[in-house]
Amino acid sequence: MSVDTAPVPADTPVDRRARARRVGRGALFLVMVGVAVVMLYPFWVMIVDSLKSENQFLSGHGFSWASWRTLTSTIPIAQEVVSSTIICAVSILLILLVGLPAGFAFAKLKFRASGVIFLAIVSAMMVPLQAILMPEFVNITRLGLTGGYTGAVLVYAALGTPFSVFLFATYFRGVPDELIEAGIVDGLGYVGALWRLVVPVAIPAIATVTVLQFIQIWDDLLVGLLFIQNTSERPITVGLAVLAAGRTTSIPALMAGSLVSALPAMIVYLIFQRYLVKGLTMGIDR
Amino acid sequence: MAEITFSGVTKVFAGNVTAVDNLDLHVADGEFMVLVGPSGCGKTTALRMLAGLEEISSGTLSIGGRVVNHVLPKDRDVAMVFQNYALYPHMTVAQNMGFALKIRGESKSEVERKVKEAAAILRLGDYLDRRPRALSGGQRQRVAMGRAIVRSPQAFLMDEPLSNLDAQLRVEMRVEIARIQRLLGVATVYVTHDQIEAMTMGDRVAVMRGGQLQQVAPPQALYDRPANEFVAGFMGSPPMNLVRARTSPSQGRVGLAVGDQRLDVPGAYGASHDLPREEGAEVVLGVRPEDIVVVGSDAGGPTLKTRVERREALGAEILVHLSVADAGAASSVAYDEDVAVARPTTLVARMAPQARVEVGDVLMVRLNDERLHFFDGSCGVTLRRGDA
Repeated sequence: MSVDTAPVPADTPVDRRARARRVGRGALFLVMVGVAVVMLYPFWVMIVDSLKSENQFLSGHGFSWASWRTLTSTIPIAQEVVSSTIICAVSILLILLVGLPAGFAFAKLKFRASGVIFLAIVSAMMVPLQAILMPEFVNITRLGLTGGYTGAVLVYAALGTPFSVFLFATYFRGVPDELIEAGIVDGLGYVGALWRLVVPVAIPAIATVTVLQFIQIWDDLLVGLLFIQNTSERPITVGLAVLAAGRTTSIPALMAGSLVSALPAMIVYLIFQRYLVKGLTMGIDR
Repeated sequence: MAEITFSGVTKVFAGNVTAVDNLDLHVADGEFMVLVGPSGCGKTTALRMLAGLEEISSGTLSIGGRVVNHVLPKDRDVAMVFQNYALYPHMTVAQNMGFALKIRGESKSEVERKVKEAAAILRLGDYLDRRPRALSGGQRQRVAMGRAIVRSPQAFLMDEPLSNLDAQLRVEMRVEIARIQRLLGVATVYVTHDQIEAMTMGDRVAVMRGGQLQQVAPPQALYDRPANEFVAGFMGSPPMNLVRARTSPSQGRVGLAVGDQRLDVPGAYGASHDLPREEGAEVVLGVRPEDIVVVGSDAGGPTLKTRVERREALGAEILVHLSVADAGAASSVAYDEDVAVARPTTLVARMAPQARVEVGDVLMVRLNDERLHFFDGSCGVTLRRGDA
């Protein structure tokens, strides 16, 4: 019987690098799984606990729709979702309508003191909501707009606009001047060039503003609580606060409400996420 | 279609920087005018003023006899091709080409017809539904051209449209643009820093430097009869050799001293040029690389003793860099962008590839005595009578 005594070929550097790359990727995958678990666990808890009655929640066994029935009978959840949607949509529309032309002007037009004005607007991003809440409340009350959506929409738009101006100005600085000039020679004015040439190429920036503002406005409680006094127009965050402020708080019903509240933000994020990364990292590679 | 006239046009930017200084230029109807010059010479600013993208500080600019100083770009009826094409990335090729017509309010069928016509001229028919990012550099360039020609404008303005293309494609597109311009017969102002483009494409070439127009002439006239040493040094590749020399008259004949060497200047130049008669006046002698030939030591005429410093074989020809022997304090004039700088006295000669020339060889070279150029030693203007 013969024995093959040929030496086993030693690892080449290429083999070693390939193995190291595989190990690295495996480790990265495990870390990402860990992060995903940490992120998704609260949603899992919300889903599971929302499918229990009060007793099932305390005992830890069984599932039922009882908490969803409690939720819909305690607060007008559907109406609140609609209210939140209207507030978000109108606020974001205002933010875009102001932010896009302002960002374009700061990025592409030459006018006196543009740098100082830009700095003043951008510095408004650093003022926390709580610091200006009372003066805003006084102003909105004087205007008689504390009843319905209008006051809250104006506050959200005012708070979100500086960020959008900053983001759009930064984005538009990366748009070649020639693109706008080509449009102008082709027969457009600056307004036409903005809406017909620049906005279509600014989808990542628009998506970024939309997603970030949507999440911020949708999740906000304070402005809704203070500025929307008509119960028929209150947003879902205020509804959930009402649910939590009862004499006894039903945790499963609260989880069901939270789930309803969280889902739209997740959906908006998932729809726009491919633009979001591009919008937030723009300029990095230049 | 129309003619274009710059009359004393000046552009002063903030900070009192004069980009274009008192420009007088006339572009005839259907003419292909090339504006050429080094970076910062004002050629692009002149074009942008023509397009209406820059305001004019003073002077008058007219297109088709109409003064357009304060006319909006969209009302000037000019089409512009940009250096980076500036195609609208969210539109297809057809939409890009038809955009100006759509804005103008032309009917859909008319837009389609004109786009198809232009696409046929530019051989873009198969790409009309593609987006710009799906096209090659040359195709993008053609779309940019297409966007200009569908409008049937009074004038085409082109701002270095070939500078982003690779060398081979640039040659192809050079021919293509010239062909289309001649086909359409529209007055065209074409800006480039590439003197080969200027020489091969333009009916006339306007050379600019430091915001000022240096010379306007057909390409060959510009090459053969440069108005000053800047034009002489800018046009041609390699450029004209410019050697500082001093006059050294002898027995009634004009001669030049290049260092310790004396160069005989044929008497005919005395009649056609204002060569200084006095001893020691500084002039700049210009000679094209193809006008230098190697001769035996006993050859007469304008000859110089030189040494081969470098030999560049280009296949079809060789460029031989020669240092002038006994050059002493003499120097050559060269241009770094638009600034004249003094260099050691060297000559570049263009020779046939068979020429047996090696580094270190000492050669007697003869300058073509029918094609010598003389410029004023202080202001650089040609000494040829009637051209200064």
